[in-house]
Amino acid sequence: MASSDLMVGLEIGTSKICVVVGENRPDGTIKILGVGQAPSRGVRKGEIVDFETAMKCVHEAVVDAEQKSDVMIRSVYVGVSGSHIQSFNNRGCVLLPEDRDEIDEQDIEDVKISAREVSIPAQNAFLHSIIQHYHVDGQDGVLNPVGMLGQKLEADFHIIHGVRTRIQNTIRCVKELPLEVEDVVFNALASAQVVLTQHQKSLGALVIDIGGGTTDYILYVDGAVKECGSLAVGGDHITNDISMGLRIPMTRAEKLKIEEGGVTLGNCLPGETVLLKDDSGFAGKEIERESLNTIIHLRLRETFELLKRKLEEQSFINYIGEGIFITGGCSLLNGIHHLAGDIFEMPARVAHAQTMSGLTSAFENPQFSTAIGLIKYAQAVQADRRPRRGIGRIFGRFFTGMR
Amino acid sequence: MIQLSHNYSLPEREEDIIPIKVVGVGGAGTNALDRIVLDGIDKADVIAINTDVQSLASSVATAKVQLGRGVTRGLGAGGDPELGYQAAVESADEIRQALVDARMIFICTGLGGGTGSGATPLVAQLAREAGSLVIAFATLPFSFEGKRRAAQAQEGLARLNQIADAVICFENDCMGDIVAPKAGIHQAFAVADITISQSVRSIVNLIQRPGLIRIGFDDLLRALRSENGRCLFGFGESDSDNRAHDALGQALKNPLMNKGKMLADAAHVLVQVAGGPGMTLSEVEILMQELGRHINDQTQILFGTAVDSRMGNRLSVTIISSLGNESGAETKQAIMHTPAAPPAPMPPIWEQQQPIETPATVGASDGMVDLPPPAEDLVQFPQPELVQDVQPTVEPPAAKAAPEPPCVIIPRLKPAPKGPGEPKQPKPEKFAHAKQEVLQFEPITRGRFEKSEPTIVEGQDLDVPTFLRKNFRVK
Repeated sequence: MASSDLMVGLEIGTSKICVVVGENRPDGTIKILGVGQAPSRGVRKGEIVDFETAMKCVHEAVVDAEQKSDVMIRSVYVGVSGSHIQSFNNRGCVLLPEDRDEIDEQDIEDVKISAREVSIPAQNAFLHSIIQHYHVDGQDGVLNPVGMLGQKLEADFHIIHGVRTRIQNTIRCVKELPLEVEDVVFNALASAQVVLTQHQKSLGALVIDIGGGTTDYILYVDGAVKECGSLAVGGDHITNDISMGLRIPMTRAEKLKIEEGGVTLGNCLPGETVLLKDDSGFAGKEIERESLNTIIHLRLRETFELLKRKLEEQSFINYIGEGIFITGGCSLLNGIHHLAGDIFEMPARVAHAQTMSGLTSAFENPQFSTAIGLIKYAQAVQADRRPRRGIGRIFGRFFTGMR
Repeated sequence: MIQLSHNYSLPEREEDIIPIKVVGVGGAGTNALDRIVLDGIDKADVIAINTDVQSLASSVATAKVQLGRGVTRGLGAGGDPELGYQAAVESADEIRQALVDARMIFICTGLGGGTGSGATPLVAQLAREAGSLVIAFATLPFSFEGKRRAAQAQEGLARLNQIADAVICFENDCMGDIVAPKAGIHQAFAVADITISQSVRSIVNLIQRPGLIRIGFDDLLRALRSENGRCLFGFGESDSDNRAHDALGQALKNPLMNKGKMLADAAHVLVQVAGGPGMTLSEVEILMQELGRHINDQTQILFGTAVDSRMGNRLSVTIISSLGNESGAETKQAIMHTPAAPPAPMPPIWEQQQPIETPATVGASDGMVDLPPPAEDLVQFPQPELVQDVQPTVEPPAAKAAPEPPCVIIPRLKPAPKGPGEPKQPKPEKFAHAKQEVLQFEPITRGRFEKSEPTIVEGQDLDVPTFLRKNFRVK
């Protein structure tokens, strides 16, 4: 097996670190060979706060993945998240020289660079610049202008950037292991690769990846990324709310959330309770189900409402044809899609990675969407890199210089 | 262990069994009676009363009274209440004889038919005249049985309401809800019988069972006191690990209980918890707390508990209450044959309040329970000061839910003092109204995010639990 066909996605999440090993098969599909996992420590809200501990956890997860998939992991695609990640849309423009009117590859590179010529905060670095559409001499909606005739090439890009040092922290954490970092990918972008089909992207869809520490979102309209970002609120917050609201320890709250938590209000019998068995150091307690659900409901409602307000600043949300796809660990909460559907007033569903082969249990779990998405991203990048096919998403590699 | 349970002086109590008779009137009444007998009732006499000889002959009741030998000549009343009434008048002496010497008489009947609607009020009347307390269990016909039958049933019920001390009404239409759609019609009727049987037996047990905190007739009456009201009845029994919870769950699932939602409007709720010697105080506490969530702050809980060694590992909960206009009920109180105190100060017999707090004192206060209350002065234990004591003990969860100033995170919440006229607590789905925050005892906490970079979006610190920021009180 050629090593170049092996792709490894590493997600350093707030609640768990997840390594997915995949193989690029000749027919273009991805086979998942193994999934390594380790509970995460030293990570808060998607960002590393305790370097040493986080490194140990990453190491643990990588070793686990190596054992399970029986391969040596040398290089990984790393997912990053955190509230520092921001994005905007920008248009680049190049004018072709007088003596030439056929657009070539070089012009595409130039227009990309030109799109990048915007001011982002000094401490920030570009993460991705994703092509939306080209315009040739004012003609809209050109997908691949190479070979076309024209004088003026314009391109709309979606540019994702984040704080350089914070992204570097993640990279360093992996490099110390030591592992090669092939690329750094924004989590939501990775998730969207496996959660959405091309068709859904063109119809317009919003992916909300609610993980442990962050809620990442990405909005596709017309097959192109229009908005994305990250909100530092996630499952951890729900657990914290439960812990404080019901006055039970964090570990109990986490377990209670996973096993009994639901989002829908008014769904339980009055006085229906959940019994927490007593344990050493913890006297048993009876929790009213409605209270538990109310706490979760309020938090998620607020999160969704915040997202909605954020997305409504630009009007792209109105162009969603397909609906909302919720993924990430928190999407496993009962009834979360109903709540999202209510708030955004469009169909919402819980989604996990599609179009994979191999370990079905791995990709059918929304918890692994990002890690699997990283592989899919890797596949796209690798396919793009070698034969330089113009179709599909072209991922900017501005980041290479930074590493 | 066995020794201990004997110390609770149970055997002595057994001797003071209150004479109870269960009477089935009419076809449906006899059916229900048969069901009661088959399910086993050992502390009461059963009497079947009917016009129809055939139905009487097949009944398993020990005593039988045939109505209207001359009027109906052994046939049924043919759905004519007038005929049923005349038959009962004809056999009044026999009925009187059968009903003699009972302190309490349960009358089971199916209203709508001839004997049920016609004879039952008279039977009740005779029972009252015999000096007994009369509680009637009446089923109302299915709506598909026709309007005429429904009207007869309503008429019968109205009359019964005037005469009987309490009427527990079962709507057959409600029974239909808990029968599988494919089940035969006989099963639907059987469900009504079973429910009546369960109710009668649990009320008999309630009265007969030696109680640590005894439930008296007066408690029962108070719980059932309402005119044309809907009776809420629930019975649950369980022997699982979590039996307190399970038993209550079962009781609330009773078709007459409507998932406990109706309890919120009831003025009085009678609860009896019975169990074997292994029943613990904490179990009762859990159960009452859980029940407390279903009922209103103003609701008076008539609580009783009993230990019966025959229960073994099982724990049973009986909940009885009624909805309806209280004002109408007061007039009923006046015609009660007991020299009744006015309704408001009438205290329940809470003689054994202490044992629940300190089981050690049970033996000491036993003497009071053992007094067999004579028939005529059931309500002569006026201990109003105890009633005051009782309220907080049995209602802590309800008290906790009282509206409080929205200050956040006060670890121990003291139940706020509240007057009787206070408005209802806000429903959980509504957020507490934005009020001026009074005083914060602690700065707002962020829990595990205490040391991490705050997430401030739109001026709100998202690390602080949403329910705190929204001022929503979690129970």
